[in-house]
Amino acid sequence: MILTLLFLPALIIFGVSFIKKTKSKYILALSSFLILLPTIKLFFLPKPYNIVGDYLVADNLNTYILLVSSIVGIAVALAMLTLNKHVHISPKSYRRFYRFFATFWIGLILSILSNHMGIYWIGLELATLSTVYMIKTNYTSAASKEAWNYMIVGAIAISLVLFGIILIYASVKPILGEEGMNFALLLQNAKNIPSPFLFEIGFALTTIGMFIKMGFFPMNLWLSNIERASYYPVAALFSGILESAVIIGFFRFSQIAMKVNYDHVFVFVFIYTVLTIFIVAFLIYRAKDFMRLFSLSGVEHMALIVIFWVSNAPFAALLHFAAHAFLKPALFLSTGVLESNGKYKIAGALKGFYGKNGKIFYFLVSLFLLAIISLPPSPMFFSELYGFGAMVTTAKDGNHILFMIGAILFLLILLSIIFYRFVAIYQSMKYEGTEVEKKVYFSEILALGIFAVSLVVLLIPNVLEYIKGIV
Amino acid sequence: MIDFFIGLFLATLIVAIFTNRLYRLLLWYSLNSLTLGILALSIGKSINDNALIITGVVTIILKAIVIPYVLKNFAQKFNLTRQINPKIKIQHTIMLIPAILVFTFYLSAPIVNMIQANTNYVAISISSLFLALLLIMEHKTTAPRIIGFLTIENSLFLLGITATNGMPMLVELGIFFDLLMAIVVINLLFQKEEMSL
Repeated sequence: MILTLLFLPALIIFGVSFIKKTKSKYILALSSFLILLPTIKLFFLPKPYNIVGDYLVADNLNTYILLVSSIVGIAVALAMLTLNKHVHISPKSYRRFYRFFATFWIGLILSILSNHMGIYWIGLELATLSTVYMIKTNYTSAASKEAWNYMIVGAIAISLVLFGIILIYASVKPILGEEGMNFALLLQNAKNIPSPFLFEIGFALTTIGMFIKMGFFPMNLWLSNIERASYYPVAALFSGILESAVIIGFFRFSQIAMKVNYDHVFVFVFIYTVLTIFIVAFLIYRAKDFMRLFSLSGVEHMALIVIFWVSNAPFAALLHFAAHAFLKPALFLSTGVLESNGKYKIAGALKGFYGKNGKIFYFLVSLFLLAIISLPPSPMFFSELYGFGAMVTTAKDGNHILFMIGAILFLLILLSIIFYRFVAIYQSMKYEGTEVEKKVYFSEILALGIFAVSLVVLLIPNVLEYIKGIV
Repeated sequence: MIDFFIGLFLATLIVAIFTNRLYRLLLWYSLNSLTLGILALSIGKSINDNALIITGVVTIILKAIVIPYVLKNFAQKFNLTRQINPKIKIQHTIMLIPAILVFTFYLSAPIVNMIQANTNYVAISISSLFLALLLIMEHKTTAPRIIGFLTIENSLFLLGITATNGMPMLVELGIFFDLLMAIVVINLLFQKEEMSL
């Protein structure tokens, strides 16, 4: 029953996308709200709740991630109502875009709720393939090229994930048999895995595949190029939902790997992510358009989430994850308005907003821009504070405190470069350039409003307590 | 018997790397998938695993017949260039392939030692994965890259059946479904721009 309700909005969107009437797009946007019903119901059910046998199981972690992703999905569906007002898109492509959005959503629900490595992979692959066509809806040669790029690089990344899953399965099959694909069972039997080395190789390959999908080192630019070439809702879906599905996979696999050998996981992931932030900081410093800027900033934040998670700070990681999942799609959706008059222009982008909608938009975008660089009271400020604190605590337990303080200082220097660049861009948007009047629609304000309210909700003490209790 | 087909799997992949015509590449992919299907059938029969036998049959139907046929149709429908010259010269590829094979056998030794059954097969699966990546890298055009991607799937499938004696049936079917979805997306990606309607 729950599964039917979870898939229902996607199925309605898929079905309605075949109707050629223009007004059908309102049904598409409204039906996305239906996802909240089963998600909220899952919150109140006792955990773990078996949705489909042992294959799809709702626990605190994936229910939380599903709720965050659902909110993002609803807001993106609302903002898509006015996509044709900002970009040139044919009605046929528009309908097809929704069709693949529905497929994408089904893939994500499967990935997020799966308690099975194989189903997780199948869902992720389905979501990846659906996004390929969404990139192509922008009929430019750059978008076409990037869609193919995404198809090939995404396929290689996802193949690495499958390669790792096969090795992990091979390492546990002697003790668990066909149940070796079950995340919960794997976690219970992590200490008894007969070939931990084989498991770790599998974990490393899976992690590298997932890191490539999130744009980590050495594939830092492929994601930003794709997001630049595609329409802005695609970028919002990538940063807000697809990365949620990837990161929950990382959470699941790393939970098991940390039980097998914590030090190996920590060193491997820490070096990888610090290297990623090092490169991304300088790429952000050189970014000359909104899409690339936000995309690269997304890579930086995903790297921080990963570092916090392996530093035994799940609260910081999950808070940072939710804040990022709300902020980044909000900024990508704003880009549709900011760039609609004078593409790629940063200078003066925050000028020319009149009327009630314009003023609210101006206020919200300023808020999001300042929140993404972790200015208090942004939830990111608190998550980073907790995260860095946890890193010091972990180092104290492991007797490498001096090394960790050095690493944190290095990270803070890199973050300050990003901070400096964002402030400079904000000032350029506000004080430089010429003023061109920009049109903001109500559905866009509604979408951004949903994100703003969700961010505020994250700061409520009860919500923070709930997040603390997830893992 | 299994040794023969594993060798044939590798051989068809190596020949595919040297191929410079699209239809011939499709033929080698089809043969590669056929040997894979027969391997799944043989291993499934030897260990009495019905799921693996079903997977083998589906592999032969889908990967050895349907997908190459559909891709050939796409090539005709969208007028794809049939001359697909590899970027890497053949004399260099001749040196590269044995190097990859030796390197992979050396690299996979620690992993292979931990898998009780079919140790050499696992090493061959991993080396075919690298060879499939080489197939993607050596071509500029899209069609051979797609075949490279499909060959990666074949290599992973081989790894699945050799390292674990077959993945769970549900996963195999899911992978086949995703493969079909990939073909749908590839079809849409090839389509020309439709700005009207």
